Amino acid sequence: MTFNKDIYKEFEDVVGAENICDDPLIMAAYKDNPFAAVIMPKNTAEVSAIVKLCNKHKIIFRPICTGWTGLFVPGSLLIDLRRMNHIIEINEKNMYAVVEPYVISAELQAETFKRGLHFCVKGAGSNCAAILRGHGHLDETTSGDDRNHLAVEWVSPEGDIVHSGSLGSSGEWFSGDGPGISLRSILTSAVPPGASPGIFTKAAVKLYHWPGPTAYSLQGQSPRYTLKDKPAYMMARYFSFSTVEEMFNAEIKIGESEIALEHMGFNPAMVAGNITTCNEEFFEVFGRMAKQVKGPGFFIIIAGTSAEDFAYKKKVLDKIIADNNGESLKMVEDPEIEGILLIQCTRISASIRETFRSGGTFKSIPIMGQRDLTIKWATGAGEAKMPLIKKGLILDDGGGFFGWGVEQGHLGKTEIFCAFNPTNQEAMDAVNQWREDQKARAVREFYFAETMDNSEEVSKKLCNYLEWWHKIHKALDPNDVSPEAGSLV
Amino acid sequence: MGLEKYQGDLAMCHRCSACKFIPMQKVANKEFSYVCPSIARYDFHIYSGGGRLHVAKAALQKGFQYSDRILDMVKNCQMCGACGVSCNYAMDMEVMEPIQEYRIQSVKDGHTVPALDKAVEMMRKGNNMVPGAAAKRGDWAKGLNIKDFTKEKVDVIYHVGCLTSFNKDMWKLAQGTAGLLRKAGVNFGIGGASELCCGGRAYQMGYEEDFLKQAKKNMAQIKKSGAKTLVTGCADGYHAFKVLYDKYNLKGDLEVLHTSEYFARLIKKGKLKPVKKVDLTVTYHDPCRLGRLGEPWIHWEGKKLPGGNFVFDPPKTYRRGTHGVYDPPRDVLKSIPGLKLTEMTRIKEYAWCCGAGGGVNESNPDFAAWTARERIKEASSTGAEAIVTACPWCEKSFKEANSNLKVYDIVELLEKAV
Repeated sequence: MTFNKDIYKEFEDVVGAENICDDPLIMAAYKDNPFAAVIMPKNTAEVSAIVKLCNKHKIIFRPICTGWTGLFVPGSLLIDLRRMNHIIEINEKNMYAVVEPYVISAELQAETFKRGLHFCVKGAGSNCAAILRGHGHLDETTSGDDRNHLAVEWVSPEGDIVHSGSLGSSGEWFSGDGPGISLRSILTSAVPPGASPGIFTKAAVKLYHWPGPTAYSLQGQSPRYTLKDKPAYMMARYFSFSTVEEMFNAEIKIGESEIALEHMGFNPAMVAGNITTCNEEFFEVFGRMAKQVKGPGFFIIIAGTSAEDFAYKKKVLDKIIADNNGESLKMVEDPEIEGILLIQCTRISASIRETFRSGGTFKSIPIMGQRDLTIKWATGAGEAKMPLIKKGLILDDGGGFFGWGVEQGHLGKTEIFCAFNPTNQEAMDAVNQWREDQKARAVREFYFAETMDNSEEVSKKLCNYLEWWHKIHKALDPNDVSPEAGSLV
Repeated sequence: MGLEKYQGDLAMCHRCSACKFIPMQKVANKEFSYVCPSIARYDFHIYSGGGRLHVAKAALQKGFQYSDRILDMVKNCQMCGACGVSCNYAMDMEVMEPIQEYRIQSVKDGHTVPALDKAVEMMRKGNNMVPGAAAKRGDWAKGLNIKDFTKEKVDVIYHVGCLTSFNKDMWKLAQGTAGLLRKAGVNFGIGGASELCCGGRAYQMGYEEDFLKQAKKNMAQIKKSGAKTLVTGCADGYHAFKVLYDKYNLKGDLEVLHTSEYFARLIKKGKLKPVKKVDLTVTYHDPCRLGRLGEPWIHWEGKKLPGGNFVFDPPKTYRRGTHGVYDPPRDVLKSIPGLKLTEMTRIKEYAWCCGAGGGVNESNPDFAAWTARERIKEASSTGAEAIVTACPWCEKSFKEANSNLKVYDIVELLEKAV
């Protein structure tokens, strides 16, 4: 699987001997994939040189940031971008930050908070790359997907350095669409098949107003950090409703009234995951919480820029909740719990507790789409989890799903996952089957088409998008060295 | 083999990379966001806590295989435990224990590092981990007329430790500690030339059997003396006596205290009175084995309950760094008139290591020095005039970092004030 000595030497000459390794034993650390080698460039020029060598020798490459997930090809070259970890610029006036791939969201967020700004931290957690495209807990006010990428520096699959948007014409990072070429439709930096081939080496991330403190004042020791002083104009609550319809109506009204800093359709298991410090505590708290909620619900953070602004937002929220017969979960009104949720859900270290801790691993079906439709589908997908829960194959989260609106609108993200023990093959098989069944149902019953997989069946129903995407990919990557799953995660 | 019992924990790592950084809630800036010196210095993922777990998982599945790079990974880790704290903020899984077991297995398989072999050989022959003749171990106390606990009845054993005993620059710590104990009227004694290495550093290096022999010798000596309390100013020694001896059921009911804990207690009782002004702005460095790794050992035997939930019978409590010794050293510093304490970004359970642990001081001094310089940089950023610590190994690391920043042990400052 390793390269011959001459080829290895060519790569080594680019980055230096200490930044490339082909020892097969280290590959266990990289998802146990037998990569031919791991290489760590320090800048765009090195990335370009590496990619050109890959084209010369027809070697498939795969870039990673923090490397949480991805699809990997055996025998390929892993380009680990962790040495490219600089915040290049935080432009307060034009509200963007330019970062390299290995700047994690927690780092960028800490720096932007100081300036009264923040950005869309993706749901994978603030431990992941800030450059990552996608969605997160703060989507309602920080949008999602490719809207948050402004200008991008991209090394194409053939090794050319391309500057998109304003960067291509003026050297400025403020826009992804121009002046200069717009590559927004193909540079998505997401997961397959929407992932662009090639490598993002820098991107301007859009910044938004942050109404919270420049830094939270925390107390206590890990794993229980609490707020020393709750910010005066911030509030966190969880509301539950008797029906999905009431919950969705409240969600829409909250979006339209633009009062929420964060509006996250957590299920009770996810709230319990966030406020507890271990699994035993989680199951105890979740058990109590499940009895206290009326039905489906959501988590919300209100943040005001002044006492008047905060009072107005609270008043509007109260009315919306009352109009839809919502009920506040008392447990979250406890100031300590409220504080934990405020810091957990804005600094977004929440995701690991929510997803990995209590089961071990998880598999999900995430969807972007019209919220009322996807919620209906997710309700059914949740019911379909119940037999697996009864058999003890997956975590008992009550069959919950979650989601949120994006940009105060009807568009939104909905997701449902099964958490399970990664060493239990029976559980793995059952969860895979559940995924397939629920994805097929989504298409069959006209809820949505799941676009996370390269599904020919779905493509046929949607203008053969995969065929078009393959054509674009072939034009960008004639030597087929940058698989469609080749971009950053 | 010890690693096998962590099979379930190894399967829990999903490469989230949290182990590389301080807990996300605590990330306050770009510059000081990392917590693991090994990944920060060597970049390849195997040098991170998660990477090490994946290598260990592969070893369980495919058998232990060694290469130069794998051995480089093994030796270039201070075993500081920071990865575990950051992981365990969110996860229920053992991190440090399987990494330690991997290291122990490497030694058992004969894949050792000459510099570490040499250090352990010194311990085998002379009961100390640093160069020096065993007979000279108590030379720092010449003329001080301190009781020998192996011959006289004492309430408290002051265990000085190898580095403080044999490095003349560190003698002031032992002499200062003895002076303070005497001022407080404590009936204490030392082992002098009979004092034995605690074995803790050998354990960190993976030499489990040697550590156990040393621990048994120490406990026999302590039990014979009848003393119920042992005080040490070395964080490695503290960790060994308090945590590791307990882990192997050797500690019994011996009370183990770090000097900072003991002095904080004596100050509170009014037996030590810091009254002299020390005009200095300092920042405090938490030694790993006094801080996050200094929390008590938790004895647990049980099994995972059937089903999809990762829970155990009986419930398992993880050591997450929550109960380390963080306040007593700060309390001592705060008790000194005129002294101002300013905190670094990375403190307490998520403090950056000084660089000396895990055998790195012996096997890769450059890496140890690099790690210390990173800490000095952080300490300097606070505006402090001095960095204060509570372990001779930390003090040595910082002094060797060639910084303009003054370096003190907490004992030195307390001594000035009393």
